[in-house]
Amino acid sequence: MNVVTDRPEARWLPSRHRFAMARLIAYAELRGARAAANNTEHLILPIDRDQTAAEMNGIAIWVFVTTVCYVVAALPLVWPAAIIVAIPIAAIALHFPIVVIGPIVRMLIGDGDHVKIISVVTMVLLAITSSYFVVSSSWARYVASFFLAVLLVNGAAAVVVWLLRGSIRSAEKRCAR
Amino acid sequence: MTQSAWWRRFSVRGVVWRQLLRFAILTVPPWIEPIVMAFWSAFFLLWGPGRRGVMRNLKVIKPGSSAIANFFRCYRVFWNYAWTIADNVRFKELRTIPDWEFIGWNHFQAMQASNGAILLTAHMGSYDLGAHLFSETSTRRIVMVRAPEEDPQTREFEEHHGAEGLRIEFNTRATELALDLLETVRDGAIVAIQGDRVTGSISTLPATFFGKPVNVPAGPFALALAARVPIYPVFVVRVGRRRYRLVTSRPIEITRSRNRDDDFARAVAQWMTELEDVVRGYWYQWFTFEPYWPEAAA
Repeated sequence: MNVVTDRPEARWLPSRHRFAMARLIAYAELRGARAAANNTEHLILPIDRDQTAAEMNGIAIWVFVTTVCYVVAALPLVWPAAIIVAIPIAAIALHFPIVVIGPIVRMLIGDGDHVKIISVVTMVLLAITSSYFVVSSSWARYVASFFLAVLLVNGAAAVVVWLLRGSIRSAEKRCAR
Repeated sequence: MTQSAWWRRFSVRGVVWRQLLRFAILTVPPWIEPIVMAFWSAFFLLWGPGRRGVMRNLKVIKPGSSAIANFFRCYRVFWNYAWTIADNVRFKELRTIPDWEFIGWNHFQAMQASNGAILLTAHMGSYDLGAHLFSETSTRRIVMVRAPEEDPQTREFEEHHGAEGLRIEFNTRATELALDLLETVRDGAIVAIQGDRVTGSISTLPATFFGKPVNVPAGPFALALAARVPIYPVFVVRVGRRRYRLVTSRPIEITRSRNRDDDFARAVAQWMTELEDVVRGYWYQWFTFEPYWPEAAA
């Protein structure tokens, strides 16, 4: 694993972000970043796609809230009771792709890309659920619309990131040099 | 396997949870990780003795705090513990390195350059991860002394899945280990010891922590005196997702005088001051699940 030392602005390396939207935002920040003040005496930043807290925690909260909304909409309970019941159900439901699909994928392809496959399968399951709710008359259709809209925007961001790949690589080299 | 042995696998220190953690590290997509962490941290609040131990310790660290506030603080301790052990397993299994920030870099470099030193730390943040990582990057050999896992199957699992390059010694064979460590330090190695908690029947020194009397392990101080090497207080604190701060304080020098008890008392007092400052600031990362103070146990 490559690391960058004593360059705080390297936190904005697009390579330290996973999703296209986050990579694009990171690239914009990196272009605008001057040599940032270093609050520590020595800093080691590994270049790893899953390193950024804001991105990963933000997506986790978004996915969890979306799942809770779908469970609340599906439960035949009054709102406060439905929310209380939906929170643990949503947490357990999000474990299913990992527990059920994870061992099967690992058995079939071994260690390596299995986490990527589980990740894609989980996102596809959420997209299918969102497609179901988006055409319903439930209030959850707004949540589903937002979920699908974010996926579309991320898809568009992926195209922009691909078009900018040369500039991104140059900016990263300048920062990590 | 007997019925009781089968059930022991599911006890809080049982091997099943280590296996489950390893499975999760190898299988969970990173963007679902926070949800999984939040769920399992809440699940482990069902562990009554651990929860009560943390809450009683918090009562001493934060005088006048309410039980309900300490319950939520206890969740924060469990949440941080879950992340630190996960980061440790992730490093061992996938070689994933977190971000590192250094405070007291000059002291850390001095320790690396010294001809033998004691690295004194506490059950805080990811001490395991720090030791494993720096055993691979340090120019000095690092020997870590720690208490063994209570459960034999868990011990076997940890030995099987341990990182290479780090020598771990268990503090159960006190006399022969003391001689081994003395020779190791004299050879220029760094011996990492946790100096906040007494486990088993090891020799102790009296100290004061948050204004109350406690006992701390005597080993690190006796070793420093015998080998004539400094003690460096080092704390590995988790400051965010896959982000750690390594705080190295000024060294504790044990000078020999005619009164050995006074020599030890001065060194222990300096250590307790450093420890208290860090625990006060990062109480949510002091992973002591048993009541620490005798009256807290009552």
